[in-house]
Amino acid sequence: MNGVKDYEKKHQKTFCYTISTLNIPDTYKIEVPVHIPFEGSIDELSHRIINGFNLPLNVIEELSSELQKFVEKCTIDFYDCQTVDAIESIRNESIEVEDIVKYWEKAFQEETFSFTDNKGPSNDQLFGTAFHKLAHSGPSLDAILHIEYGYAQAVQDIMSRKCRQVTSLTKTQTEEMNYAMDGLNKYTTEDDINALALKHFDDQTLLQGKWNSRLDTLKQEQRTGYREWVMKTVEEMQGVDGLYSPIGNSPINIVTNGFTISNMSLYDMEESFTIHLGSQMKSTHNIRIMSADTLNLLSLTLEENGTVVHHPQRLQTVLELYSQDLKGLVLFIDTNNLDFYSGLAKEFFDICDGSTEFHFNSLQDQLEIIKSDLKVAVENRKCKGPVSNFLSPELQARRNKSKLLQCGDVYITKHSNLASVHLVFHMVIDDSLKSGDINSRHPVILGLRNILKTACSYDITMITIPLFLTHEMTEDMTVPWCQKRAELVLKCVKGFMIESVSLGGSELKTIQFLVPKGISEEVFGILATMVPTIFRVSTPLVFESSEPEIESQTKNKKSSKSKRNSKSK
Amino acid sequence: MTCNCVDAPVPPLFGVQTLFAAQHTSESCGANGLPLTPNSITILGYAQKLRTLNHPNLVSHLDFIRKQHGRIILVSQYFNRSLWTESKNYSLLIPLEKVLSWTHRILSALSYLNDNGLVHRFLTPQYILLDDEDNVKLFNYGIYYMTNSGKNITFPIGKLKYTAPEVLVLDRASNKSGPKTDSWSLGIIILELLLGAQLWPTLKLSQIIRKILSLTHCTDVVMRLAREMGRLTMYQSLPSELKDFLSKCICMDVTKRMCPKELYDHKIFSLYEYSKILTNKCYSCKHPLRQMKLNQVYYLWKLAGGDVEWALKKKGLLRNESSILLIPRLIILEGTLYGNARNQSCLLDLQIIELSLDLLVNRLQHLKITDYDPLIDQIKDCDDTIDKLPLVIREKDTEYQFHRIVLFDRLLSSYPFKLDKLLIEAKKDIPPYFRGEIWACLLNVCSDTENTYLSIDKETAGVTDRQIEVDIPRCHQYNDLLSSSVAHKKLKRVLKAWLVSHPEYVYWQGLDSLCAPFVYLNFCKEHVAYACLTAFVKKYLNDVFLRDNSAVIREYLIKLFHLIAFHDPQLANHLDDKGFIPDLFAIPWFLTMFSHVFPMHKIFHLWDKLLLGDSSYPLFVGLSILSQLRSTLLNSGFNECILLFSDLPEVDIEKCVLESSKFNDVTPRSITFRKYELRTETREHDPCLIYEVLQKEFSPRISVYDLQELKRSSQKFLVVDAREQGCYIEKCIPGSLNIPIKEEDFEDENFDLAPSPELSALVNNRGSVLIVVDNLHQINKVRKFCRFLVKKEYPKVCSLHGGIEALQTFNILGPAILF
Repeated sequence: MNGVKDYEKKHQKTFCYTISTLNIPDTYKIEVPVHIPFEGSIDELSHRIINGFNLPLNVIEELSSELQKFVEKCTIDFYDCQTVDAIESIRNESIEVEDIVKYWEKAFQEETFSFTDNKGPSNDQLFGTAFHKLAHSGPSLDAILHIEYGYAQAVQDIMSRKCRQVTSLTKTQTEEMNYAMDGLNKYTTEDDINALALKHFDDQTLLQGKWNSRLDTLKQEQRTGYREWVMKTVEEMQGVDGLYSPIGNSPINIVTNGFTISNMSLYDMEESFTIHLGSQMKSTHNIRIMSADTLNLLSLTLEENGTVVHHPQRLQTVLELYSQDLKGLVLFIDTNNLDFYSGLAKEFFDICDGSTEFHFNSLQDQLEIIKSDLKVAVENRKCKGPVSNFLSPELQARRNKSKLLQCGDVYITKHSNLASVHLVFHMVIDDSLKSGDINSRHPVILGLRNILKTACSYDITMITIPLFLTHEMTEDMTVPWCQKRAELVLKCVKGFMIESVSLGGSELKTIQFLVPKGISEEVFGILATMVPTIFRVSTPLVFESSEPEIESQTKNKKSSKSKRNSKSK
Repeated sequence: MTCNCVDAPVPPLFGVQTLFAAQHTSESCGANGLPLTPNSITILGYAQKLRTLNHPNLVSHLDFIRKQHGRIILVSQYFNRSLWTESKNYSLLIPLEKVLSWTHRILSALSYLNDNGLVHRFLTPQYILLDDEDNVKLFNYGIYYMTNSGKNITFPIGKLKYTAPEVLVLDRASNKSGPKTDSWSLGIIILELLLGAQLWPTLKLSQIIRKILSLTHCTDVVMRLAREMGRLTMYQSLPSELKDFLSKCICMDVTKRMCPKELYDHKIFSLYEYSKILTNKCYSCKHPLRQMKLNQVYYLWKLAGGDVEWALKKKGLLRNESSILLIPRLIILEGTLYGNARNQSCLLDLQIIELSLDLLVNRLQHLKITDYDPLIDQIKDCDDTIDKLPLVIREKDTEYQFHRIVLFDRLLSSYPFKLDKLLIEAKKDIPPYFRGEIWACLLNVCSDTENTYLSIDKETAGVTDRQIEVDIPRCHQYNDLLSSSVAHKKLKRVLKAWLVSHPEYVYWQGLDSLCAPFVYLNFCKEHVAYACLTAFVKKYLNDVFLRDNSAVIREYLIKLFHLIAFHDPQLANHLDDKGFIPDLFAIPWFLTMFSHVFPMHKIFHLWDKLLLGDSSYPLFVGLSILSQLRSTLLNSGFNECILLFSDLPEVDIEKCVLESSKFNDVTPRSITFRKYELRTETREHDPCLIYEVLQKEFSPRISVYDLQELKRSSQKFLVVDAREQGCYIEKCIPGSLNIPIKEEDFEDENFDLAPSPELSALVNNRGSVLIVVDNLHQINKVRKFCRFLVKKEYPKVCSLHGGIEALQTFNILGPAILF
């Protein structure tokens, strides 16, 4: 590279050795190729030479020292030659001096602490640490939840007011329009109607804009208020010994209707397994298979018998936000343009938008950033084209040409305002997934592998995966289809889990497999029995007190003995 | 002379540093289709060699720890004085003699490193430490080596101003540096010391790089540097030999630049009598801990609660950024990540944290000075209370391990003298610190294994190479060390050496697992691992690795079944009933001596005992595993049993070890006699049987010798004589019980013994060894009788090998005394 010779290719030198013995007048000359720089044992090589050429064993010492000298000389020559080339290339500037300067400057500045520009934690990290501390200090957690709830209510209020106004406006507009239409050619002309439609549209836009900007302002205020409160409270907390109650300086008034935490099960059906992976050293993981509505896992509030209740896992999620135990969810998206306009994506967007994101960028902003990442990725894909070992060349070629996300690509959004997860993996899918015969090389499965690998590298210890790789039940999903799909996903995930154990990252403690709500109990039963056949379910630990058992045995023995004795008598 | 005193303070002896290995990018699959080994593991493998280096002027490395996400923690000897602190403390120039004395020692260390295939590449005054006696100790000399010349890390190695110009070019193309780069660095360090000034103290990074590169254009580099430091006149006043020495270090023409070994013999060192300089001899009292080997002190320190990570954390070096802030935004299918933030805590910060030994000193406070240096024969047994504690607790007990280490240190250094004492002590337990060495002693490995090993050709390709290469990346890979490429290479070499030196044997899958514990324990001593493997296979797995090993294996398995019938008739009946024979589950057990079914830490405890037992011990281990799973097995049908064993459930290894030695103690030796085991002689009455005979029998045979042994011992036994009463009265074993029975009797399935005084005697003796005896030709009757007794769930049923006739020569038969 850059005019420097490639020294990686090992140099081969020939070692010559002459041997003469008393018996035979001739001298023998042997030649052995030796790689320079030599890695290995000189003595061992001498033994090999002796054995290979059938030399008498008594020459071993001489041979060995000759070889030693030879290797030393060659090694010095090798390094000298390499060094001369290097220095020469600096001297005659066959290597650009500026390149070297930049390379080393970058290396030191980006990799070593003493030369780096941005020492110390980032602002986000500072806030994260503070928040983590606060959440983990007794009463503050309560306060956090109260404030978040209060803020969320305020957002909801505005949203519902907006909704009401929009509906009423739409209603009056419809009436107006109906009236105008009725009177077409009587007391109105087409122009009138057009003008009316235009006015209606403007009014709608104005109203929407008004409310949206109000929402934005509110969210901005909330976010600032929240973050200031966190930092202030943590600061104050440090001065106080013992328990510190932060409710006092809460940025909002006491929440009027205190919240109730739901205690109903989120899942229609669920079954958990503790499993083992590995043959000698066994690692333990939890597998849960459950039937639930995906969005129910995310939404902060749930409707229960007409009253609003809070998601039971929210507390845990808040506690773990900046910890090494993150929770993720895989969401399948069938559009590839990063817009959340319809279907599940739209519903997901609404949930995220339903309350203020205090910690990260809003979903919309995150998506914008991802779009710019995508541009870079597409550019890279086009010119360098990172190749996957698993993809067919045609598919790879098609992928390299595309400017959009493709089936199997994943983007990740971070959330602090979802009920039970911190991270959502959005995986792009296409129609090929509906077919019954996808195999382990399908892009979605490979994407799943990427997700699990990422999970291990970034401390995501619990992940939820839709078992059928879809969120809804459709008519095509027959029982054999479900079985086949479940088997494929379970087996592949097992393989990826085993693989990721060796990566040396965090441990995937829990994997949840989600099946759509509304699945029949029968099918669910089939799936639940499938898990123990694919994963090695740990045998339950049975505590047996061995001693009483022996006693009882001996008792039995005694009694039987006495019986027999009585018989024999 | 220094005196030892337990009250003397102990300064920190170790320092700890941390660094990060490079992460693999995107698609990580090796040529063999397996995922790439993480760089941190590769580094760990290379680093092991550093433990073997031993030179008075090098600090010793004590530990390398791999943590999550590629973090490596290095623990090594450390002194808080260095050339850097010295040069800052001296208000005047450091005397020339002193500098030369240091230089000479540095060169000695550097040439030692070169001889071992290492280049320092990180020479700075900060990393040239000085011990209490002003002796030079090089530090951080292993970083370049263990990171595979910097290929497995992202940070640059070396301090720029001491770096030779060619390195700036070569490192970028990741070419390995040669020994002469160290000469350059050393030259500049010495120049700074001699002239008492810093080179380029205020320049920025980029300026320093430019300066170094520009040196290539000048003729007299040393002069130029001296001028840059503003000490030209001072330089010119230096003795000419010294100037010559410097010009041999700092020299652009690499053929004229000398490597450390040549510099070591430079004439400057013979000119000055620097060796007579008084070093700071230390006369104060020293704690006896400091007489112990550093590795032992570190080991004990860890047991006493020393926590390297905590020490790092306290100094803010283990800062963890929240993963949620670092996570990437986009993962495209090919595996490339976009938008992941750089973890600032991953940056190289080679701050050295000293580890305080106070914890350990306090823990060992009440020990007397004699405890550190006991006489072997006078070592009293430790108090019984600790002996009764579970092994895992004893292994964690600082004080207990201290005594064990002191004791075994003595015993091992006197090996093979005092072997008997070693065996007695090893029976108690084997301290983990010395496990490798003790195992070698238990296997009678002699000291001269190295030459034998050297002479074996391990390079030439063999027929089983491919299989070995497939197996090794699947062998105990949960273990960091064994999953490194260095370990793979070593494992392969040891296996090949064994195969080459045992042409009568072949490679059977499982040999790799068998080899793994030895390679792990003797990681830097391949020859010991090889010798241990050889001795181990010979002792426990004689002829198991024959090309056709079916006879050996089958005998092993049927013997296991006999043993089950002997000790646990109920289980044997059940297994027989379900047709779940040992062939279905126990082959990997014996072929690998359980090393394939258990993780490493369990194998250690198991083999600790196994190595003390004879070649039949594995059978007892098998039996005790089965007895742990007994209740599950008894409630399972064939399919459940198969499933249960396809992935062995967790086995309590300590219980297993205890039970197996208990079984071993109460089982006469001939019960487990195998035709194919390695033994010195086969006596006439040993039950040496072919497989076809063994197969027909449900219960084992006992030899006459063991019968006599039983008579002598206190063990309860009962001889059941099945002959007709007439024969019995005429001649029988005194004290035997006559239950005359005909072979035809057993044809009736519901046959039972009729109530009689003999039967009640039999019932009353349930639990003692029951030896069925008959005439030699009645062998089938004896078999059936034994089977009958086992069916009736009598434990310890066996038949006398050779029948009543075998006893004739022993003169123990006599007429029966009838009541």
